[in-house]
Amino acid sequence: MTEMLNMKEMERKLQKADRKHSRLYLICNFIALTIISAFSALMCSRTVQTVFPEGGDSRKQMYAIFVMTLAGCVVFTVYAVGLFFRHKSRQLGVLMAIGASRRMLLPGLFREVFFLSSFSAAAGILAGFPFVGIIWGLFRLLLVDSSEMVLSLDFRCLFISGAFFLLVVGSACLTAWRYLKKTNIMDVIREEHINEPVRELGRWCGPAGFLLILAGGVMGYYAPLMWMTIFSAYPPFWLSVLYVPVFVGLYMVMLHTVVHGWKIQKKNRYKNIISRGMMKFQGRQTVNNMLVITLLIAGAAFAIFYLPVGSLSSLLGYRAYTCDYFYQYRADQKIPGKEAVVELAEQYHLSLKDWSEAEYITLGAGGEGDVSDKDGHFHMEYEVLQREVRVISEDAWYTLTGQQAEVLPGTYWYITNAQETNIYTYEDAKDLTNMVTRSRIDTEFAGYLHYDLMVDEIGYFVLDNEEYKMMAQGLTDDWRGRIVQFNADGKDSYPFASAFYRLFVNSFDESCEQSCTYDRVVKIRENERGKTYWMDTERGDKYKISFDQTDSMAFKMWWVYRPSFRILLINDYLRMTGVLYMMFLFVFIVCLTTALVICNTRCRTIALNNRYVFDDLKKLGAPPAFLAREVGRQCSGVFVTPSLVGMITIYLLFSGILYANDGRITSYEVIALGVCLGILVLVGVVVYFVYRSTVKTIRRQLAAFSS
Amino acid sequence: MLYVKNLYKSYQVGKVKYPVLKGIDFHVAQGEFVAVMGPSGSGKTTLLNCISCYIPFDGGSIMVGGVKLAGQDEETLAKIRNTKLGFVFQDFMLLDGLSIRENILVPRIVQGEVGRDAEQLAERLADMFGIGHIMDKYPADVSGGEKQRAAVARSLINSPMVILADEPTGNLDSKSSRIVIETFIEAKEKMEATIFMVTHDSFAASFCDRVILLKDGTIYRQVEKEGSQREFQDKLLDAIREMSA
Repeated sequence: MTEMLNMKEMERKLQKADRKHSRLYLICNFIALTIISAFSALMCSRTVQTVFPEGGDSRKQMYAIFVMTLAGCVVFTVYAVGLFFRHKSRQLGVLMAIGASRRMLLPGLFREVFFLSSFSAAAGILAGFPFVGIIWGLFRLLLVDSSEMVLSLDFRCLFISGAFFLLVVGSACLTAWRYLKKTNIMDVIREEHINEPVRELGRWCGPAGFLLILAGGVMGYYAPLMWMTIFSAYPPFWLSVLYVPVFVGLYMVMLHTVVHGWKIQKKNRYKNIISRGMMKFQGRQTVNNMLVITLLIAGAAFAIFYLPVGSLSSLLGYRAYTCDYFYQYRADQKIPGKEAVVELAEQYHLSLKDWSEAEYITLGAGGEGDVSDKDGHFHMEYEVLQREVRVISEDAWYTLTGQQAEVLPGTYWYITNAQETNIYTYEDAKDLTNMVTRSRIDTEFAGYLHYDLMVDEIGYFVLDNEEYKMMAQGLTDDWRGRIVQFNADGKDSYPFASAFYRLFVNSFDESCEQSCTYDRVVKIRENERGKTYWMDTERGDKYKISFDQTDSMAFKMWWVYRPSFRILLINDYLRMTGVLYMMFLFVFIVCLTTALVICNTRCRTIALNNRYVFDDLKKLGAPPAFLAREVGRQCSGVFVTPSLVGMITIYLLFSGILYANDGRITSYEVIALGVCLGILVLVGVVVYFVYRSTVKTIRRQLAAFSS
Repeated sequence: MLYVKNLYKSYQVGKVKYPVLKGIDFHVAQGEFVAVMGPSGSGKTTLLNCISCYIPFDGGSIMVGGVKLAGQDEETLAKIRNTKLGFVFQDFMLLDGLSIRENILVPRIVQGEVGRDAEQLAERLADMFGIGHIMDKYPADVSGGEKQRAAVARSLINSPMVILADEPTGNLDSKSSRIVIETFIEAKEKMEATIFMVTHDSFAASFCDRVILLKDGTIYRQVEKEGSQREFQDKLLDAIREMSA
């Protein structure tokens, strides 16, 4: 006799029988929530928040990739709940057909989906923390460890995971409600067998998609420039809408790829008819998934490219420095002189050589700047006190570099690096001002000199000796300074460099506790106009550096008097930037894993939906090799196209960014792009292995179904 | 028992409206076994789905045991489906997670608690239809014919006024088809069940008391049973040939 005597027990029994589908749903939710929980935990952690400069590009990029991952996970979970209900619908439909009212089914169904969604989501959130802890621990153990790498979580990240939790549970309950609201019971019963309606997709779709991508890219990129030129105003935020055709185009290209493919089969036009035929019924849902996968692969590529592009040019640049030690300081600071430094070096059994010193002065330089008008427009205006610059004489230039510079009176030369990639180029100064006496001379840009060590945010001008003397007259010590450089005689000593760094930094007084963003000339100009310099307001707080954190990345990167000690820069680079790069490495792992999980799930769904087709083909005499090829074709579309599109797009984007920075690709950047290409090949290999494994699993499942 | 009056139903595909049923009128008396036949697209299944309250209809009226279906709320329609109607589908529609016994009892479970009387009735029905030995098996473990007989038993568990069957032999071989039809006849004779069946199969229809022939959404002709089953089948085939011409 049956033990099942009421509705509740029957539902429990049916749920138990459905556990295969429930498990798939649980796993999908769990993975999505684990990823978002781990990502948000790391992103919001004090470790990352302290290191990533507020308002900086790296932080914006991190947020952008997070949004991409979040979008991917949202689509994935919505897809998972849809899949769950596709299987569930027959059961619901049968019960409705034999007289179960919606009111009767509602509590059981809600109980089930609420339990499944909330349990999997909560478990995913909880799993995210050990996940991030393990990955971060492995990074520290295997790659880089420093005091800054200590993981300190901020549990405010739970707001993000919590919001996602609500979304998962909400979308599950909403889908349940949507199914029960259907008035046509036959639709509910047949839901599992309903495919997309076949609508003929024109062959124009793909080419038109490419045109849209091109048009959107050009419009999106140039529209802000045109807006500024035409209206003399900053472009409004909504102008980014012009990028939308890129995404529409991408969708169309992918749709064309899965439905038609790009190969023209003149010899055998029936070659791909089976796989293309299957896709006609699920092309759009497959493409939706593929777009998400593309986004995630692009996010992974963007994150991983950050490592070589960011680190290689810095490390190669440090190696190319012509001096081991280079620093500058204000004349009013009591910095250890040559004797003290030599003495310190001896303590570390190091002798020094090639010591050279030169004087510099700080002046106000004129230049073009955009001035905001009240109506949101702006106009370009020449300001006499546009910025602060450091100025050296022809003789000082010779002392430091051994190079002659023929500087004519009334002109200045600007010092840039050998690759001429310095993003701060001041060619527009027409006058220079002594900030103490306010004497002023007219000047004109004459050209570039090259010396990597003298490239920073403030910049150096070289003046004619006589003109330099004239401008230096009357300057107080806080507007004067010295530049010192020397080499280690023999093998350099890291302990010495480290000790000297501490000695050097500790010799400055509080008036030098400034970041390189702080411009003393602009501050005077603004104060004289009765205004408060923006760096002295709350806006400037985020750019402040502190003598309490002289080992922090922010201090070492943004302190206005930061020294260039080559051995320190090279050795400390990974330690200093460890959090930054490890965060991006983590993002890479998370995005790639999510993309591959979605690829795998999608392929299995396609195979599951088409299992009868495969079975029929087998019955019609298709050999195993033919079936294996068809499964492979189905899966390759899902794996290959998004991977290629995502990786190539980001590769081109990075190449474009590197080119746009300074109008050229430098030798360092060529090496970095080469490394990126190597990484892409490795990612391709990983994708290929997952693809092979997916095909194998599907073939096994189809064989089990047939038998 | 079942009255259908001036029934209209159309489907909207995009902007185009396709009329499927164009004023259908008929009635089925208690204990009568009626079949509906017609070519594909004639509206057979749509008619059955309207009577089953699975899909709403545009106009006309359907009455089951004196209750009008039009204008009823969801709750009442569900109750009608559960108590006044029994269903047999082409693809059986048994729930895979439940045993055959549990599947037969599902309409009772939907009503609430299942008592001993319901279990005994399920046993009796199973014995009557020759599936007593598979009561504890699951749908995946039994043949198509056995599944369909279980579905017929399920349709009778609440002693409905009308059993609605949609192509009940469509997925079965001839031997199983015959057994299922005999099951219906047994239900009609022993339980005075009223059966309304949609079918393509003239052999299955030849066991009925009356056959309604549908063509393009209207009743083309109704054929009453006369003579033996074989003679009735011949008569039906002639009528179908005439309709096709």
